[in-house]
Amino acid sequence: MVVDDLKPQVLIIDDEKGLRLGTKRLLESEGFIADVAENGTEGINLARSKPFDLAIIDLKMPDLDGIEVLKEIRKIDPNIVCFIATAYASYETAIESTKLGAYSYIPKPFTPEELLLQLKKGYEKRLLILEAEKLKKEREERLLEIAYEKTRLKTILNSITEGALVVNKTGELVLYNSSALKYLDLHEIFIGDVILEILPPEITEMIKKFIDSNEYIPNSYSTQIELKPNKELIVEATCSPVPHADGSLAGVVTVIRNITEAKKVEDIKSQFVSMVAHELKTPVAAVIGFIKIILDDTFGVKPEQQKDFLNRSYVRLNGLLAMVNDLLDISRMELRKTQREIKELDIAQVLKSTLDFLELELKKKGITANLSIGCSDCHLMADQNEINRLFTNLISNAIKYNKDNGSIDLEIKRSGNYLRIRVSDTGIGLKAEEKAKLFQEFFRVKNDKTRGISGTGLGLSIVKRIVDSYAGKIEVESEFNVGTTFLIFLPIKENGQSSSTQK
Amino acid sequence: MSFNEKVKKIMLVDDDIDLLEQHKMLLESKGYLIVTAENVEDGWNVFKKEKPDAAIIDLIMEEHDSGFVLCHRIKRDSFGKQIPVFILTSATYMTGFKFGSSTSEEKEWINCDAVLNKPIVFEELLQKMEAFFETKV
Repeated sequence: MVVDDLKPQVLIIDDEKGLRLGTKRLLESEGFIADVAENGTEGINLARSKPFDLAIIDLKMPDLDGIEVLKEIRKIDPNIVCFIATAYASYETAIESTKLGAYSYIPKPFTPEELLLQLKKGYEKRLLILEAEKLKKEREERLLEIAYEKTRLKTILNSITEGALVVNKTGELVLYNSSALKYLDLHEIFIGDVILEILPPEITEMIKKFIDSNEYIPNSYSTQIELKPNKELIVEATCSPVPHADGSLAGVVTVIRNITEAKKVEDIKSQFVSMVAHELKTPVAAVIGFIKIILDDTFGVKPEQQKDFLNRSYVRLNGLLAMVNDLLDISRMELRKTQREIKELDIAQVLKSTLDFLELELKKKGITANLSIGCSDCHLMADQNEINRLFTNLISNAIKYNKDNGSIDLEIKRSGNYLRIRVSDTGIGLKAEEKAKLFQEFFRVKNDKTRGISGTGLGLSIVKRIVDSYAGKIEVESEFNVGTTFLIFLPIKENGQSSSTQK
Repeated sequence: MSFNEKVKKIMLVDDDIDLLEQHKMLLESKGYLIVTAENVEDGWNVFKKEKPDAAIIDLIMEEHDSGFVLCHRIKRDSFGKQIPVFILTSATYMTGFKFGSSTSEEKEWINCDAVLNKPIVFEELLQKMEAFFETKV
């Protein structure tokens, strides 16, 4: 490093005092800063103690050979521009000294002009060396920075769940992350591998579209691929071109997103929609059929049969309406958009009023209902409409699927942290395989006994949704042809008020 | 149906009694003799007893594939005769695919002579059934 930018620092090592001091005086008058040493050892020590730009080393000195001094000084700072001064200038010495790193040699005796000319050239060289050093250092720093950037990029890439891999124009792997390896089930790939052949054909095809066109078109292609059979792993792969700074095509980046779960939800939804469509179409088909027959004169339908068909159409359309209402309820529950009004409800009271509400249906079938209240405090926090709906669905099922003149037992009591409501009927009961499907949407038990019982197949599915939404549980016990018992457990949330009244 | 042919007996199986009655009326008006059943077991018993010339079966009854189950039974054991079986359904996209019998796997599984959509296009059903009876003559 140059200590003083304006003044070059020169070290003069010469055993000849006159020459040493004369040179110093000359150089200082020319704007140099000059230090002197009278032998090699002293010169080396001086070079260690402070930086120099230039050094003039006498070849012949009593203690150390000038060549040795040169070697030592260049060890201290390889960028010091050294001159060898010698009266015995010979071609060989010159070669040897320059081989060892001397910039040049100065034959003795020299004129001031000769010396200054040499030193000036040497100093220019020194400045060039220092500039080059500086640039080199900067470059190294930048390389380090880039290396750091690369590691950082790799860390970021590896931390995302999407798979990413980049290939260049020739299909060689340039960049990838661990998720990509995982999704594509690749174990041994390396940067530089030509990987198009081992990628799923759907991805290769998309990448090739870009590579083959060989220009940067800012489009993306996207496709869904089942990477593992039976929908175990479905991904969405998106390929986009990567441009060079000049806008030409550099390569293609492929991003792989795991959509297995989303697909599952989608499948369930579309299956549900299909089922709904089927369930809605059936009554419509029945009504259309009746109307078609009534309207077709070739059948000559008699008035009383017409009336029967219209009645049956009326029943089917009412069923359809009930189903649409149930579906709307389910959809509202799914969206959690129901405006709930949570307040303290007396469940015993809810059961009583539900029985009142269904009195007509009870009478029609001659069913007796018994309500036993086994708790002094049967309150819990819930939405009135939902709880009404819950017990209306359960009790109306207990009526519909009961035997004529059968009975329904309702019991309410506390069971640990729950209110337990039991609804038992003396109805047709369930077979084991029917019990298993009981809460499925649109499931209805179909046999001789259920023929003619109207229903949407959604009642119990709604019951389950309501109970689930209160973190409750349902148990079902049933014996075929004997009856069915539903046990509903609704958690009692002790609020501040009730616990303070309990102490 | 041509004049000199014996009256064909057709079995209808559907758990929807309204549709069952309508289809019965429609086919009777075309001169067919109709026997009915409302589920797979019934259908199988009626089939054995009545030995119909054709069967028209609803797909979704107790189970989602009840119609196919009954169809298989009929095809396996139809007292040495080729009994045409038509499956009715309004659930053509129930399981995400259209019922068809283009692949051998589908042919084996479905095994019926036609899958017809509900509400049925009556003319289509008649045409298919009559075409079948004609080739048998």
